[in-house]
Amino acid sequence: MFDFVGNRKYFFGFSALILIACIIALIYHQGMNLDIQFQGGTILEFQMKNPNVDLNKAINVAQQASGKIANAQTSYSLDTTNERVDLLVLNIASRLSEEEYDKVVAAIEENFEVKEGTKPTPRVVDPVMGKEMAAKSILAIVIAAALMVVYVWVRFKVMGGLLAGLASVVALLHDVMVMIALYAILQLPVNESFIAAILTIVGYSINDTIVIFDRIRENSTLLRKESLATIANKSISQSLSRTINTALTTIVCILTVYIFAAYYNIESIKLFVLPLLVGLISGTYSTIFIASPLWVVMKERQAKKLAASKPAKA
Amino acid sequence: MKGNYGIKSLFLILIIGLLTYISIAGLTIQGTNIDIPKVSENIRYGIDIRGGVRAVLTAPADVNPTNEQMEAAKQVVENRLDYQKVYDRTVLLEKNNKRIIVEIPWRQDEKEFDPNKAINELGMTAQLTFREVDKEKVDEYGRYLPLDDKIILKGDDVVKSTPETDPSTGKVYVALKLSSEGAKKFEEATGRLVGEPLAIFMDEQLISAPTVRQKITGDSAVIEINNPDPNAAIKEATELSNTINAGALPFKLEAVQIESISPTLGKSALDVILRAGLIAGILVILFMLLYYRLPGIIADIALLFQIVAQVLIISSVGMSLTLAGIAGIILTIGMGVDANVIIYERIKEEIRAGKTVKAAIDAGFDRAFAAIFDGNITTLIVAVVLYMLGSGPIQSFAFTLGLGVLLNFITAIVISRTFLRAISSYKVTKNRWLYGVRGGNSNV
Repeated sequence: MFDFVGNRKYFFGFSALILIACIIALIYHQGMNLDIQFQGGTILEFQMKNPNVDLNKAINVAQQASGKIANAQTSYSLDTTNERVDLLVLNIASRLSEEEYDKVVAAIEENFEVKEGTKPTPRVVDPVMGKEMAAKSILAIVIAAALMVVYVWVRFKVMGGLLAGLASVVALLHDVMVMIALYAILQLPVNESFIAAILTIVGYSINDTIVIFDRIRENSTLLRKESLATIANKSISQSLSRTINTALTTIVCILTVYIFAAYYNIESIKLFVLPLLVGLISGTYSTIFIASPLWVVMKERQAKKLAASKPAKA
Repeated sequence: MKGNYGIKSLFLILIIGLLTYISIAGLTIQGTNIDIPKVSENIRYGIDIRGGVRAVLTAPADVNPTNEQMEAAKQVVENRLDYQKVYDRTVLLEKNNKRIIVEIPWRQDEKEFDPNKAINELGMTAQLTFREVDKEKVDEYGRYLPLDDKIILKGDDVVKSTPETDPSTGKVYVALKLSSEGAKKFEEATGRLVGEPLAIFMDEQLISAPTVRQKITGDSAVIEINNPDPNAAIKEATELSNTINAGALPFKLEAVQIESISPTLGKSALDVILRAGLIAGILVILFMLLYYRLPGIIADIALLFQIVAQVLIISSVGMSLTLAGIAGIILTIGMGVDANVIIYERIKEEIRAGKTVKAAIDAGFDRAFAAIFDGNITTLIVAVVLYMLGSGPIQSFAFTLGLGVLLNFITAIVISRTFLRAISSYKVTKNRWLYGVRGGNSNV
């Protein structure tokens, strides 16, 4: 039987390295690469000669000219004489300075057939996910985590309740941290997909950890005489084939989507699925190597404190 | 016992078969109200897949809103879209020009692709008012016209509204709870207008104009829905009530510019991800079959139920489905097998420990139950909190997750259990090999 608890310093150390890499990346890149939804930006509507515009090319041109994340859509509206006007709409994740605006307009005019004599009016917009919404989302996650601790506390009394709850939340935060590290290091655009990906992994990670804790709970009553470390190691080993099989089926699903997206070159799906893939691996890792060993460490420490506070019998 | 579970299993297979058929082909029974379109035609795809409408909304020319009022108006628009489960939308605030830019996907049954109509149907400018009327001033159909100087109550006098049906008469109405100030105004007006009509408008449109029978005190009022079709009346009442609950706009919003927008990804992306989903599903089904053998078949049937039920529910509530949403469903396919994996691993352990196949199934199921229960409940807690506090994409995710967890639980407790009990009573199924455990028949 592999000693998961005894070798914890390697596992904790590995996660600490990821955390350090995350912090370095955040400092080096001066934060994450926020998309228009999170930091607001500028919308430009170009009047085009015809409706056929290569959107991928438009995105590339706009990104190169502005140095910011951009999105492109085609659109049309009717003018006052009911004449159809074809539009190319660019969403650029930054408030463009006059110089940047000129650069983007020049680049688009050079590469596409823009109607002569027309210039887009820049519309400066606030982020969709404003401060208020971000605060609300963080509140939601904090409340959800608190309720989770309380639930685990009540249902896993045998494991010391509160400690089990804390260990499961740490495993959860670990996975969120790994995903933030991925976004920070690769400078992936932080948009709605980011939120969806993080939440998906939160859902997966909780369920994954609880199943092992259930085994520890069962073994704690069955194997009263064994040490905490032995109980945890046994429980992890016994649930190992389940942990791996579930991770495997889920990863196969997501990997299939990734391969298809890569083959057909659909960037947005790739950008959504890659973090999920990393998150799933992290979720499985934290279940096996972080949650249970951490619980053992905390429980042993608590026991020591209790022993120290009680005067030894003479 | 044996016969009992056998019959139940057959019954379940019939139901799953029927649901699968409905989701693929739809179901219409002549002469009844039953008319379920097939899922592929009934799903409201997000802007990324199908495109939609962009509208630029502003306050009327004579109103000069503050930035706070613009923020409030934006929030009301967001709330209304949340109530309608249009999670895939963008609501942008352009403070410089005091404008709100809204993007929404086309409705699932959209045929005309008329952007103006799509925006109107959202009721984005809707403002509720109770007004006195002038009996002389009617339109060509004899309906009362809204008079600006005779407003009694406005949307912000209403605290809460709920759609209700009177059980004795079958009449459908929207019940309103008024603020204390609103109640005072309502009492004064109804006292003054006994025997006179009181008109209720959404914007310029008259909803009903009941005659005041007596002075109404207290904080409640009702809006009757006059629609001969009871189903349509309930739908109308729910929509009206949602619009009122989403909050009153601080001013009327006018659409100054409405245009249609193209999908960001296009039809090909949808095809790609659906094909990926199909392949992923086949891989998981094969894996379960090869690894768990006989119980693997059960897991596969259970999985089919879960997918079919999930898409049927998503399409019937009209939730907009984006690419991220589809990827989310594919993820739940992977997670959906988890409950089955936990049970079967446990059964294997019990067989290895020397139990008979039947005893192993009973023990394995009971022992696995606690793990499945706690795992699902904790995930459900997260889904409920996110649904209540989140909006837009977060609420959309919470809805899919919560639905997935519930279905997962039903599948494990009802479907897998019944099938396992049924097969455990036959002699042929007692071979340990069938459960993926090495070595001949179990003892008994």
